[in-house]
Amino acid sequence: MLIPAFLFAMFAGIAIGCSLGVIFHRNPVHCALMLVGVLLSVSGLFILLNASFLAALQVLVYAGAIMVLFLFVLMLLNLKGENPLLTRGAAKGFGILFAIVVFVELLWTVLSPQMEGGMAASPTVPTGFGSPAAIGRVLYTVWLYPFEITSILLLIAVIGAVVLAKRKFV
Amino acid sequence: MDTAFLIESVIKVHIVLGFVLLVVPFIVWAERKILGHMQDRIGPERVGPFGLLQTIADGLKLFMKEDLVPAQADKVVFILAPAITVVTALIATTVIPWGDSVTLFGRTIPLHIADVNVALLFVLATTSMGVYGVVLGGWASNSKYPLLGGLRSSAQMISYELAQGISLVSVVLLAGTLSLAQIARQQAHMWYVVPQFFGFWIYVISGIAETNRAPFDLPEAETELVAGFHTEYSSMKWAFYFLGEYANMMVVSGVAITVFLGGWQGPVLPGVVWFLIKLTAFLFFFIWLRATFPRLRYDQLMAFGWKVLLPAAILNLVVTAVVVALR
Amino acid sequence: MTPAPTIPLVYYQVLAAILFTIGVVGVLVRRSALIIFMSIELMLNAVNLSFVAFSRQHASMDGHIFVFFVMAVAAAEVAVGLAILVAIFRNRDTANVDDVRLLRG
Repeated sequence: MLIPAFLFAMFAGIAIGCSLGVIFHRNPVHCALMLVGVLLSVSGLFILLNASFLAALQVLVYAGAIMVLFLFVLMLLNLKGENPLLTRGAAKGFGILFAIVVFVELLWTVLSPQMEGGMAASPTVPTGFGSPAAIGRVLYTVWLYPFEITSILLLIAVIGAVVLAKRKFV
Repeated sequence: MDTAFLIESVIKVHIVLGFVLLVVPFIVWAERKILGHMQDRIGPERVGPFGLLQTIADGLKLFMKEDLVPAQADKVVFILAPAITVVTALIATTVIPWGDSVTLFGRTIPLHIADVNVALLFVLATTSMGVYGVVLGGWASNSKYPLLGGLRSSAQMISYELAQGISLVSVVLLAGTLSLAQIARQQAHMWYVVPQFFGFWIYVISGIAETNRAPFDLPEAETELVAGFHTEYSSMKWAFYFLGEYANMMVVSGVAITVFLGGWQGPVLPGVVWFLIKLTAFLFFFIWLRATFPRLRYDQLMAFGWKVLLPAAILNLVVTAVVVALR
Repeated sequence: MTPAPTIPLVYYQVLAAILFTIGVVGVLVRRSALIIFMSIELMLNAVNLSFVAFSRQHASMDGHIFVFFVMAVAAAEVAVGLAILVAIFRNRDTANVDDVRLLRG
């Protein structure tokens, strides 16, 4: 119990610290690197939750491709940090108030007694849990229709991104 | 998590880390010697017998060089970037099996540091994290040529990652598992290079492009971009970039050997020796390519990756899938 | 190797709630469109974590499938969103959401 607890505390601490870094750093490249830190620590948490395929996918897709795309756009547009950092005045106040309301609501739901087994130990899972075989078994049978739709969605996104970012005179 | 397992893992980490870090100077020497002989000259020959101590002398020189950080550079990211390159390459070496299990003191010890059941995905994930070392190095230098070199190099790396991944998926279809140790073990009768001949070559070519080696090394070519993303780097940080590049070469070779060439399998000699022989052959092949082919221009490189290699990899995957489904 | 006993589910949910809230603050309070995108990614990751934790609790693979689709859709969204951002930046030379307000009454 000691090592998983230590690992959880470490990954959770890194995730929260890096996410605070995302919203409070001035330089956008530093924010992007902090977000990569969040993604890697969430990947570690996935491994603690026996989701090995998703952990690898998180690093491969999210941290390895999506964040590289963010960095490319940052570097090509040469975006600097904005001055002042946060929105002015009332918008900032209402924003933080709303966020506190959301947080309290989420905690209320999560910690309510109706959430059965919230504090209980998790059940044991079958040995292949979270492996690619287990995901494939479900993905191509029960969830086949969303899978095919997602592939069309990705095609649309690729075409859309190319068209939107084209220069008009090309 | 018993202590015997911990001790065994620590010893294996030391062996692999020591091997990688000690062999890299040797590869540098071998590259200079082999390139020299292929170009009808001798290469290093004065420092030590056959010039063997040349890399150590160069390393000492680099160690004592002035460590420059450009004035307007982003200091934290500047120092972080070469570290990312080296660390991701070294992490990827943890799942590569370099031999069959040995039995010592009554325990069966598998000869790979970590037995991950998604080992192939793990290697792909860590090599895709290696892109950050290049793109951040180019950015943090705050200078034109490194930025262009970094962007070009990382665009090249993420483009060839696709063909690399798809060619490996074709082998996964044949093997039925993502674990590198299992894939190596299943090639006892026939190496996967035989049914997956084209997949092997697609993987090797994309692996060369991934590690920014010739003929895909335009982003670090002297005639084009001064030195690309590592222009502003001096002394040990530059040495780290090259350490990372050679470690990456070893990872790509290790994965190719495990997935296509039977891993440690071989007739007479023990597994580890066969693995080393195959690794040496691959590294010689990398160096041979550098001596032989001219550099691809950047647009030729990207066109080749997207228009030739990726469709070829997908075609290979489709044919493999049809054959496996019909079996 | 048998998996070690895990952390109770509620810790993961609280962590996901914290990350989600930090993402919400980021979206509402920062002015650069790119940072707002990153905060949205942060929120998506918090949701992914919550899904995987629930999936572990109920020993069902459906949570993993949801995360799979969330990742695919997030990739598509980032691609298109950044393309839009590049197009806006090319026309207005700013990535600040407070400055793109022509439709405002």
